[in-house]
Amino acid sequence: MAGLLEIHNLSKSFDTIKVIDDFSLEVVEGTLCCLVGPNGAGKTTTMDLITGRIKPSSGKVVFAGQDITAQPEHVIARAGIGRKFQVPAVLRDLTVRQNLTVAFSRQTNPFWNLFRFRSPGLERKLDEIATLAGLTDRLGERAGILSHGETQWLEIGMVLMQEPRLMLMDEPIAGMTESEIEKTAAIFKELRKTTTLIVVEHDMGFVREIADVVTVMHMGSLLAQGTIQDIEADPRVRDVYLGEQEAA
Amino acid sequence: MGNLYHNKTAQWLAYAAFFAVLAIVPMRIDDDFLLNQLATYGVYGMLALSISLCWGFGGILNLGQGIAFGLGAYGMAMTMQMQTQTESNPIPPLMLNNGLDYLPMLWWPFANTGLGIVCAIAVPTLFCAIFGTIMFRARVSGPFFAIMTLAMLSAFYTIILDRQAYTGGVNGITPPSPLQFAGVEVDPYSPLAYWTVFFALMIATVLAKLITQSSFGLVTQAIRDDAERVRFLGYSVAGYETMIYTIAGLIAAVAGCLWVMLVQYVSPAQLDVGFSLSMVIWAAIGGRLSLVGAIVGAFVIQGAQSYLGDTFLSTWLLILGGFFIVIVRFLPNGLASLLEAALGLFATRKPKSSAESNGAEPVPAE
Ligand SMILES: Nc1ncnc2c1ncn2[C@@H]1O[C@H](COP(=O)(O)OP(=O)(O)OP(=O)(O)O)[C@@H](O)[C@H]1O
Ligand SMILES: [Mg+2]
Repeated sequence: MAGLLEIHNLSKSFDTIKVIDDFSLEVVEGTLCCLVGPNGAGKTTTMDLITGRIKPSSGKVVFAGQDITAQPEHVIARAGIGRKFQVPAVLRDLTVRQNLTVAFSRQTNPFWNLFRFRSPGLERKLDEIATLAGLTDRLGERAGILSHGETQWLEIGMVLMQEPRLMLMDEPIAGMTESEIEKTAAIFKELRKTTTLIVVEHDMGFVREIADVVTVMHMGSLLAQGTIQDIEADPRVRDVYLGEQEAA
Repeated sequence: MGNLYHNKTAQWLAYAAFFAVLAIVPMRIDDDFLLNQLATYGVYGMLALSISLCWGFGGILNLGQGIAFGLGAYGMAMTMQMQTQTESNPIPPLMLNNGLDYLPMLWWPFANTGLGIVCAIAVPTLFCAIFGTIMFRARVSGPFFAIMTLAMLSAFYTIILDRQAYTGGVNGITPPSPLQFAGVEVDPYSPLAYWTVFFALMIATVLAKLITQSSFGLVTQAIRDDAERVRFLGYSVAGYETMIYTIAGLIAAVAGCLWVMLVQYVSPAQLDVGFSLSMVIWAAIGGRLSLVGAIVGAFVIQGAQSYLGDTFLSTWLLILGGFFIVIVRFLPNGLASLLEAALGLFATRKPKSSAESNGAEPVPAE
């Protein structure tokens, strides 16, 4: 099966520093790929390049057979890629309910939205996602007052509301408690049955639990790729990443 | 029960009450001059409403709303001027006085009343759509956009001042008789003129309120909060910004037409920077996040200016400036936030329900 997302020889330089260096990756539909690597390896930058936040210096990103390289952000989002940011980004002045409603973006045309006061299917979807994210009691609150863990949940909920074919999750469990992490793992395992995910995470325990495939990045390039067993056995990975993790 | 201020049903009731009061006015007043003056406040209210929509809800500070207002006003003045021209005397005096002995093409559409009014509204709206598209596609926003609107306003001001033979220059256009519409003469001092403005203001307010409650309104508020984030949800931010800016421009253009209907006069002063700034001040003082708040802001400030301005003369501007600073410093959401706070106090005394809603969804029986 061809990859849902194919990254071909992607490079990105800021001034003279090459942050992404000839990076290629293929993510098969219906799998959960964990993207790991030391700080500054270029994981977030890769997500920026996929979602159009920054434009690559060279290389190509193909999603579902369609070249989306350097397309505007909203076009890529509409093609079916949803993203959770490393620093949780929710609409802080809006309520939790409004955040989830805005994320339910089946109709994005500004003109038609002038005449829409309720979206078909919204209430059911919103109930479902709010329950999943444990935010049912918080729907009327302003998103800005949520705790860090709740904010993470809200943003994950927003990505789910978008109903994307591919979800990019940048450090989704940062700042979560043990039980919240367990719950997230359970949800991700459920999600991977129906969608495709790329998850950036430092917590190897979490990665071990959820990943179908693990991709290791180092200094902007692909260092290794395989199952979690392959990766943990790989001496190069131990050198640059896992060794440093165990020391910490 | 949550804060009544955020209750949608209560909001609509407040709007109904507000317009009911405005509807009683002409029955209580038999001073034609005062009625005309109150009608002009209605026009200022429409301008404040347009600023509230664009700036309060859309987060787009527009210091050049005078462009849409002014172009609308010029279009209407040209239409009314052409109504007074006859076959034996087809050229308006302002051209003859400036050595032009033919009607310039710019004026042709205004020879027909219907077409003239359509142009008076459509041209500024189209301008906003084009200017907005160019600016917002290039992701010009915040203070940079405000400065661009200011620059544009000055450009229009200069052109109108300069092209004397076409625009009347600094003297502007003074149509000698009132607007004739569908066989009726709209006397500026009649209740008919007041009612026309009243209905325009009411329709604009209701439509604006509906817009803020639509899916479009929710996305617009999301963009005000964090435009960057909204892009990743699949919305074209530029499209939404252009739309709200253009709708605000349309309201201002209609206000321009009505204003000329009331005063039978237009000059470059309507595109003066100071006037566009005062529209922003009305909305800021009344409460830019509240449509009716902004309208009330315009009433209060313009009313105070008419009555106190004569008493205080040049110190009036100082008083207004001081008042503005106090509001911005202590009441960033204007006088409307006083009401919000008052109703909030009232609400906290009652047990609070957790599912209070304040968004694009219907409010359950509250
Ligand atoms: N806009 C920028 N200008 C210059 N350098 C940048 C820019 N953005 C990122 N970088 C650099 O690119 C490198 C990769 O950053 P990136 O954020 O992608 O790392 P990461 O793998 O996500 O790390 P972390 O695990 O800390 O989140 C870093 O060295 C960073 O300093
Ligand atoms: Mg990162």
